[in-house]
Amino acid sequence: MSVNWPERISAFSRSPSQFLCSTTAEIFLTEILRELRDDRANDLIKVLLLSPLLEHPTLLCPSVSVGEETALELMSVFAQCSPKSLQLRCHLLLALTSVLLCSSCVTSCTSASQDFLDVLFQMTQDTNDLQAGAAVRPLRSTACDCLRELEACHPGLLSQRLELLSNLRQQENSRLHQAYTGLHALALRNAVYLLTQQKGAGAEDLKAALGSSEGFVWARGADSEFHSDMALLSPLTLGPMGRVPTLQTGPDSKELRSLISSLLEESYLLTSLSQAALLQKLVEIVSMVPAVSPTIFRAQLLRLLGTCEVCLLHSTLLMKAAFTDSLFSAEDEAYLLKRLVSLSQHPLLSTPEKLFYMDCILHFPENRPISCGDENLPVLLTPRLAAALVPTLFNDSASMLARFNLLSLVYLEEGEEDRDGQGGRGLAYLYDHLTSLLHVMENQGSREMVVTFFRASFLFLLHFCHVKCYSEDLIQRLCDMYLRQTRLAPHLINLADRIQDRLVESGWALALLRALQRSITEAPLSQLTLQDFRWHLRILARVAEEGEVPQRATLSFLLSVITSNSSVLCVSGDWRLGNGLLGVCRRLLLHPSLDSLLTPLADLLQYLTCYYGDTDIQDHARLYYTLLTTLSREKLAGVMAQGGPERGRQAKVHSLSTIMTETEELTTGLTVHQTEEPVLRLVKLDSPEPDAPEPDSKSHNEANSESNSSPRRGLEERESYRAKLQSPGFVSEITLQYHLTHTGVYDPHFDKLFSIRLHFGLTDSNYEEVSDISVPCLFRTRKPPAVKLRLKPKQPYPTTLRASAVFTTEDGLSWHSSLADLHVTFPEVFLPLPGPLGWTREQKNGVFEEIWSEISSVASKGDLDNGATSLFCDQLDNWAVDKLVRNFQRYRISDCSELDKGGCKVLFFLPPQSHVLLRVLTVEENVQVHIATDNWKLLPYINSYLEDITKDLHTAQVNSDG
Amino acid sequence: MALRDDCFHQQHSPALELHVEGPGGGVLWPMLAISQGPLILACLPLVDAPAESRPPLASLFSVSQGLTLLAGLQAFLLGSKGKPDSEGLASRLAMMPFILLQVCPLGTPLDIPQPGASTAPAVPTPAGTQKQPAWKTGLHRGRAVVNVALTEMVRSMQYGNQSRQDLWDVYGTVTCKCEVEGVLPNVTVTLTLPPNGSPLLDVQVHPCVSSLDASILTATSVEDCDSSAFSGPYKFPFSPPLEPFRLCSYTSQVPVPPILGTYQLKEEDNQLCLTVSLKLHESVKNGFEYCEAHLPFFNRNQMGNVNVKVTSGQLDVSKEKNLLVWVIGQKFPKSREVSLEGAVGFSGQLPGPTDPLCTDLTAYIKLHFRVPDMTLSGCCVDQHSVQVYSSAKPRIVTSRELLSSEYYIWNSTGTAPLSSGHMML
Repeated sequence: MSVNWPERISAFSRSPSQFLCSTTAEIFLTEILRELRDDRANDLIKVLLLSPLLEHPTLLCPSVSVGEETALELMSVFAQCSPKSLQLRCHLLLALTSVLLCSSCVTSCTSASQDFLDVLFQMTQDTNDLQAGAAVRPLRSTACDCLRELEACHPGLLSQRLELLSNLRQQENSRLHQAYTGLHALALRNAVYLLTQQKGAGAEDLKAALGSSEGFVWARGADSEFHSDMALLSPLTLGPMGRVPTLQTGPDSKELRSLISSLLEESYLLTSLSQAALLQKLVEIVSMVPAVSPTIFRAQLLRLLGTCEVCLLHSTLLMKAAFTDSLFSAEDEAYLLKRLVSLSQHPLLSTPEKLFYMDCILHFPENRPISCGDENLPVLLTPRLAAALVPTLFNDSASMLARFNLLSLVYLEEGEEDRDGQGGRGLAYLYDHLTSLLHVMENQGSREMVVTFFRASFLFLLHFCHVKCYSEDLIQRLCDMYLRQTRLAPHLINLADRIQDRLVESGWALALLRALQRSITEAPLSQLTLQDFRWHLRILARVAEEGEVPQRATLSFLLSVITSNSSVLCVSGDWRLGNGLLGVCRRLLLHPSLDSLLTPLADLLQYLTCYYGDTDIQDHARLYYTLLTTLSREKLAGVMAQGGPERGRQAKVHSLSTIMTETEELTTGLTVHQTEEPVLRLVKLDSPEPDAPEPDSKSHNEANSESNSSPRRGLEERESYRAKLQSPGFVSEITLQYHLTHTGVYDPHFDKLFSIRLHFGLTDSNYEEVSDISVPCLFRTRKPPAVKLRLKPKQPYPTTLRASAVFTTEDGLSWHSSLADLHVTFPEVFLPLPGPLGWTREQKNGVFEEIWSEISSVASKGDLDNGATSLFCDQLDNWAVDKLVRNFQRYRISDCSELDKGGCKVLFFLPPQSHVLLRVLTVEENVQVHIATDNWKLLPYINSYLEDITKDLHTAQVNSDG
Repeated sequence: MALRDDCFHQQHSPALELHVEGPGGGVLWPMLAISQGPLILACLPLVDAPAESRPPLASLFSVSQGLTLLAGLQAFLLGSKGKPDSEGLASRLAMMPFILLQVCPLGTPLDIPQPGASTAPAVPTPAGTQKQPAWKTGLHRGRAVVNVALTEMVRSMQYGNQSRQDLWDVYGTVTCKCEVEGVLPNVTVTLTLPPNGSPLLDVQVHPCVSSLDASILTATSVEDCDSSAFSGPYKFPFSPPLEPFRLCSYTSQVPVPPILGTYQLKEEDNQLCLTVSLKLHESVKNGFEYCEAHLPFFNRNQMGNVNVKVTSGQLDVSKEKNLLVWVIGQKFPKSREVSLEGAVGFSGQLPGPTDPLCTDLTAYIKLHFRVPDMTLSGCCVDQHSVQVYSSAKPRIVTSRELLSSEYYIWNSTGTAPLSSGHMML
C-alpha cells in the first residue's frame, strides 16, 4: 500500500499538533525512517520526508534517546546513499544537525553527535575539491553550514580548532570560501569571548587559541553554566551604553590583527548578507580586544558608505555605534546622517527600506549622544535637513506616518517655545497637513486613509496637545467632520481613549468628548437618521463614562428622540439599537451625578420597558429600572462595574454588544451564590444581659421598709397584674442572645462579610414568625458581634428554628449560607414575674400567693381545664438542694431560708400567658417541689426539666463524693 | 477591527506585530513583510534579547538581513519586471523550499537567490588559483561584451501658481551586463557630465564596486550643493557578476523641466472648459519614442459630449474611464509648443471613477514620455571610457534614455496638494 507522502507531510506542516492527534510522534517517526531506508522511494520523496525533522525536530525527537536513535538511523541512511543523491545527502546533514541539536544530544555529548561531527569535519577538509571532486561541493558547503550551526548553538565547540579553520578558509578558492569564512569568524568570535570570561587570560592565551588545532571542546559544551551565558548566543550590546567584556592583551596582538585584516580584505568576495554578518562578528571581536584599533576597518568604510545594500549600510551604522569617534570623524557622522535622510526618501528604494532608514535616524548612533531614550533625534538633524522628509499627501500611509512622527520630533521645540501662541512654521505645516488629510479622508477616503488620519492626529496630539490654537481647532474640525461622517465614531472614541491613556493630565480627550456631546445633542433632530443615531449612541455611551461631563443633555436628547420618533424607533424594536440605548443607560447608572439624573433616566428606562418593540430590550430596561430604583448607589456601582473600570472599558470598546457580555457580569453581581458549607454559626451567650430587673438586694431592702403594708395588698396586685396580663403589648417576647461567628470552615474569601441578614424559619406553629436580624459586618479578626433573637411564643414550648444568612463579601458578591438549626430549650422560655419595675418582694409574694391559691382552689374543684398542680420529689442533700434553688435564682420570689418553712417560692412566667409556680421544700432528707401551673400542658416539660437538673445534681454529687 | 485600526499602533515602522491566536499564542515581533501584487513575503528576524524588551530596530543586526533577504526573494519570484506570469510564479514558488535551503540554510541568510537560479546545481567551475567571489555563480567563456545602459527618470510637479513653486528632479540608474572572462576581471565605467553640469547627488553603488573616491559620495540632495562641488568624472571600478546588475544610481537637480505646462479648468454651464499648453524646453532633443498627456477627471458622472481641439497630435477619449489621452507623438512642432482647448460635459448617467484627492477643481495632467539617447542631467557613459582589463578586446555597447515618472501638471485654478517640504522653507 503506497502512502501519499506529499499529502501527509503537508498535512503535518500545516498543523503538527492536529496531525499528531490522529497518530503519535513515535509512529510517524518510525514510518518516516522506514520510508527513508526504502530503496524504491525516490530522492525527491525522501527529501520531503526530512522536512518534518528539519522543521519540528523537538516534536518528533522529544528526548535524548529518541534523538540519538534517529540520528543513528539517519547516519546509516546517509552512508548508504548513492553518491549521486547529492540533494538528499545535503538534506540528511541538515536534518541530522537539527535532530542532534534539538534533542540535546550535542549537549550530552552522545556518540552519534561525536561521530557526526567527525563526518562533517572530514568533509570540510577536502578543500578545492581535491579528493571528492567539484560535483560534491554542495555537500561540503552544507557540512560547513552544519558546523556553523553547531558552533552557534554550542559556542566554543570549535574554539580549539581555530588554526585549522583559518587554513581551510585560506586554501579554499572556490565560492565555498564564503562558508569557511563564516565558520571561522564565528568560531573566532566565540573563542575570544570565552577568553574574556577567563580570569587573567591575556596575549599568550589568545595566541595559543589562534594556533590551536586540537579536538572539539566537548567538556565545556556539556557544562550547563557555560550555556546560561546568553551573551554568547546574542550579539554583544555595542555602543556607548552597552558594556562589552574585554580581553587585555597588551599591545601585542599581531596574529589577531593580521587575521582580521585578511578576513576584511577578502570580505569584498562575499555576498552582501555574508559580508554584513562577517563585519558584525569582526566588530564584536575588535570591541573585545582593545589592542586592535578600530581603524582596521577604515579601508572598507568608503565602499560601505556608498553601498546600495541596506544590510551593508546597517553594518556601518552598527560599527559606528560600537566605535563612535575612534573610527568615525565628525564629518563622517554628518555625512552618514545626510545619507540616511536622502535614502529615507529615495525614489529607487522600497518602502520597508525607507521606513528602516527613518528608524535608523530616530536611533542614530551619535558620537556624543546628549541623552539616551526611546526615540531621540540626532542633534545634527536640523529642521532644514529634515525638510526633505516632511509628510505629503503623495506618501503611502506608513511612510507618511513615519515622516509625521519624525517631523513632530523635529518641531517639538517650536511647540515648546511658543506654548500659547501659534507655534512655528514647521508646526503650522504639520497641522495644515493634518487638515489636508482630514479633507482627503472626507472625500470618500478608504479605510486606510481613515486609519492614517487618526494615527496622524494621535501623533500630532502626542507632541503638540499643549498648543492650544491647534488642539482646540482640531476638536472643532473633528466634531464638524463627525456630524458629516458619523461612521467614524469608533475611531473618535479610540482617539479619545488613547489620548487619555497617554496624556493623563491633558484634558483634550475630555474636551473632545464634551464637544461631541454638544454637537450631537444640539444638532437639529429633524435631520437625524437612524444610522447616525446608532453612531451617536456609541459616542454618548463613551461620553457617559466621564464622570466630569454632565449628562443631562444626553438624557434629554435620548428622551426626545425616543419619544418623538416612537413610531419608528420603538415600534421597529431593532435589537441592536435598543442595545445601544441601554449601553448609554448602563453607563449613566454608574455616573457620579446619578442622583440628579434619577428622574429622566428612570423615565427613559420606563419608556423603553413599556414601548420598545423587542422583548429582550424591554426585559433589560426593566432590569435596569429595577436596579436604579431599588439598589443602593454602592450596590449598583458594584453590580454594574464588575471587574473594575479599566477592564470594563476595554471590553466595551471591543465588543459589539453592550449588554450581552455585561448581562453575565450582571448575573454574577445579582445572583445570590450558595456556600457549600455553613460559614456562620450562632453561639449562645451563657450569661444573658439582664432583661428584666432581678430580685436583688435593693428591692429586698425596699421590701423590708414596706413590710407593714396592708395584708389585702396581694389581692390588689393580683388584680392589677391580671388586668395587665390581658392588655395587648404585655411582655410577650423572650430574648435570646448569641454571638455570630465564623464556623471552622476556613476560606479567606469569607474573612470579611458585610450586610449580613439572618433569617429564621419555624418548624412548628407554637411561635410567631421571627423577624430577620441585620448585622453590619463580621470580620474574622474582630470580636464577634452579639445578636439578640426575639421570640414571641404562641405556646411556650421548646422549639427548633431553621437559620440562614445572606451576606456580601468584599468583592461585592452576595451569598446565601445556611446555619446549623437553633434549639430553643424549655428553660429558655422562662421569664421572671413581669410585674411593674417598682414592685417590692412583698408585692410579688402577694401575687405568687394569689395565683397559687387560685390554681390550687380550682384544681381541687376540678372545674378549670387549664390549671394543674403536681409534686416532684427527690432525695438530695443540702448542698444539692442549695444548688437546685440557685438554678431558679432569677425567678425566686422568696429566700432559700424558707426552704423548711413555707418553702422557697419560684415563679416562671412563660409568655404569652402561662405561669409555673414552684414551692421547694425540704422534708427530712427529701426535697419536694410543689408545682402549680395555669397551663397543665406544660407539666411534662416541667417534669423533664426538673428531672434534668436533679440528674445533673446527682451526677455532680457522685463526682464530688468520689 | 479595533485591534487592527487602533490609532495607537505605530504602523510607521517596517516591523509589524503578529498576534498568534490559540493556546500559547503570543505576539511575534519584529515581522518584516513586503507585499506586492498577490504575494506577501514575510520573515521573522531573530532577536537575541529578553522577550519583554523590544530593542530599537536600528540596533538589530538581523532586521537589515531580513530586509535584504525579502527583497531578494521578491526579485526572484516576480522577476525583474515585477509582474510575473502566474505559471512562472507557480514554478518558482515550487522551488522555494530548495532555494531557501541554499540561501538560508538553517535559518541563517547567506545569499539571495539569483533570478535565473534553478534547483539543479549548475556544473561548478573547478577551483582555480584565484578566489572566486561568492556572488559569482560561474565563469564566462566566449566573446567579451560589456553593455552599459543609463536610464534617467524625471519627476515634476507643476502648479502654474505664484504661491506654489514648481518642482522637478531627476534620478538615474546605470545598469550593466558584462560578459568578461576571468575569475575576477576588472572593469571601470566612467560617468561624465557636461561642463557646468550640476553634480550627481546621492550616489549609491553596487557592492561589486571595489573602491570609491570620497568626492563621489559627498554631494547629497538634502542640502544645497555649492558650485565648486565635484562634478566628475565619476569612476566606478568593479568586478562584474555574471548577471545584469545595477552598477550605480544617482539623483540630480536640473535647472529646467523638460516640458513646461499649464493647465486651467473652468466650470461653465455644467461643463468643464479646458486650456492646456505644453512647451518643450529647447535643450531637450525633440525626438520622442512616445509622448502622451493623460487628463483624468474624477468624482464626476461619466463624460457626455467632448468638444476639444488640439494643435498637434491626436486625442483619444475614454468615456468609461473619464480619461482624455492626448497622443502628442514623436515630435513637437517647430515652435516646440502644443496646446489643447475645449470643453467636456459630464452628462453621463453613471458615476465615473473616484479619487479622494481630486475633488472640485483639483485636477492634473500626467505626462508619459520617453526620449531615447539623451539624459537631462547631461550625464553620459562614453564608449571609450569603459575600460576592461582582460586579454580579449571586448565589444562595448552604451545607451541612454530619459523617461518620465510622476510628471504632473496641476490645474492652476484649483487647489493642488503640496508634494515637498522644501516649498515652505
